[in-house]
Amino acid sequence: MPVPGAYVLADLGGPLWEPLYPTLLDDAGLVTVVPPGHAATALLPGTPVNLLGPLGQGFRLVPTGHPLDRLLLVAESTYLPYLRPLYQTASSVALVVEATTRAQLPSPSSFPPALELILATRDGSAGYLGPLEVEGAAPPGLERAGARLRELLTWAERVCLACDPGRYPAFAQIVQETRLLPGSDFAQAFVRVPMPCGVGACDVCRITTRRGEQRACVEGPVFDLLDFLAT
Amino acid sequence: MIELAPKHKYGLPLATPLMPASGVFGFGDAYRDLIDLALLGAVVTNPISLRPRRAARGQRIQTRDDTFVVHTGWPNPGLHKVVRDYRDVWSHLPVPVIVHLLATQPTEVAESVGYLSSIANVAAVELGYATQATTRRAVDCMAAAQEGTLPVIAQIPLERMAAWAPRFANHGADALTLTAPPRAVLPISNEGLDSPVAHYMRGRLYGRALFPLLLNVLSRWSDKLALPIIACGGIGSPQDALDCLTLGATAVQIDALLWKDPPLLNRVGHKLRQRRPAPTADGESSTNPL
Repeated sequence: MPVPGAYVLADLGGPLWEPLYPTLLDDAGLVTVVPPGHAATALLPGTPVNLLGPLGQGFRLVPTGHPLDRLLLVAESTYLPYLRPLYQTASSVALVVEATTRAQLPSPSSFPPALELILATRDGSAGYLGPLEVEGAAPPGLERAGARLRELLTWAERVCLACDPGRYPAFAQIVQETRLLPGSDFAQAFVRVPMPCGVGACDVCRITTRRGEQRACVEGPVFDLLDFLAT
Repeated sequence: MIELAPKHKYGLPLATPLMPASGVFGFGDAYRDLIDLALLGAVVTNPISLRPRRAARGQRIQTRDDTFVVHTGWPNPGLHKVVRDYRDVWSHLPVPVIVHLLATQPTEVAESVGYLSSIANVAAVELGYATQATTRRAVDCMAAAQEGTLPVIAQIPLERMAAWAPRFANHGADALTLTAPPRAVLPISNEGLDSPVAHYMRGRLYGRALFPLLLNVLSRWSDKLALPIIACGGIGSPQDALDCLTLGATAVQIDALLWKDPPLLNRVGHKLRQRRPAPTADGESSTNPL
């Protein structure tokens, strides 16, 4: 079973492997969540699927060997499935979910009861007013998500993010401002890109980081968020 | 055993007429856990430039049915850094290494081949060209590559076969790779997006559909070029590899089809080891039945 954030490559009938991010593996099989229109949704029940893996570097939660107390998860609603295996990996878990509008937010009943859920929308139709990077004054009746995010960053022992990678430099800046000297891997960011080979051969999945270009398929798809700090 | 550079003073003998194509296998042993490297004749590196190159921006891959287009920009940290990072890996590979050089400037090619001549287990260079390169520039780069001591293989774009292949044969190439992936354009899938605006990406075309094109090129050119030919493009089975050898190729390269099917290299390797050239009535090996 891959650790959360790591992946397997699946043969879904196309000319290339498709990465899948398992959330559960038991006697009944492997559970993964895919977005609408994904090639996996076209499979008929009972279809055998060839898998290769586990591959890649997932989230690193317990570097010192003791259980995690306070875990903060931050996701855009479309990236939420990639954080799902982390919902119960710490004594206290807070999950910040941002969507464009209320209709794109998940139902609160789909989460474990012990998880603290913080919702935000870009249009302010539900929860806090996004985007998460912005703090400061909000229109009457609304609260900025950015202020709440900064509070949670001071509370958290670890932070795991799953968003559009273009937002990570701003998030890295916020983490650095909030925590002053965040340790390595304090905040970790998941990157979703095509990974056709899975072994670092094809160069399709290269992403730019502070340490130069990295291959998401072998050095990721989870990176230290601070690697995305603008240089 | 085959000889890919019979006119070169050191030659380029390979145990098996099989190798991965440049751009699909990484810089060394990325596939060590999935492929028996000893079944290969050589490892061909991803394209390397003298100076570092960054990855292309924007979307880098798009599929359509059984084909796909890839545009990576040939990212690499530059020849000297690649050698620093991989020379140990190269020296321990069970087969020789063919370094694929991006042939953009003759001066860079000359510097690169000079540097590579002293690197352990590097047995040859393969020159790769941009499709927009002029014939003059391509020939100049080939001439510059002769300043080193390594055999030189030229990878020819499909679109430049007629213009370049005879010239390279006359300007010191030891072997030719036919062909580099053709350039192609695909619409970028915008499923799930609200924007009705169409976007497209241009890149290298891969897929089984290239194989008939490859056989066409081989059948037309293998008898006309007095050089060993390495066939590359859409080879997806051991029989495909055998067909290329039957049509006059001396060796084959497996391209991006191996991403989905890494054991393909093992299967082709086993098949080619078992192969014996079919004798003709006069006792010679048969070539190009077309």
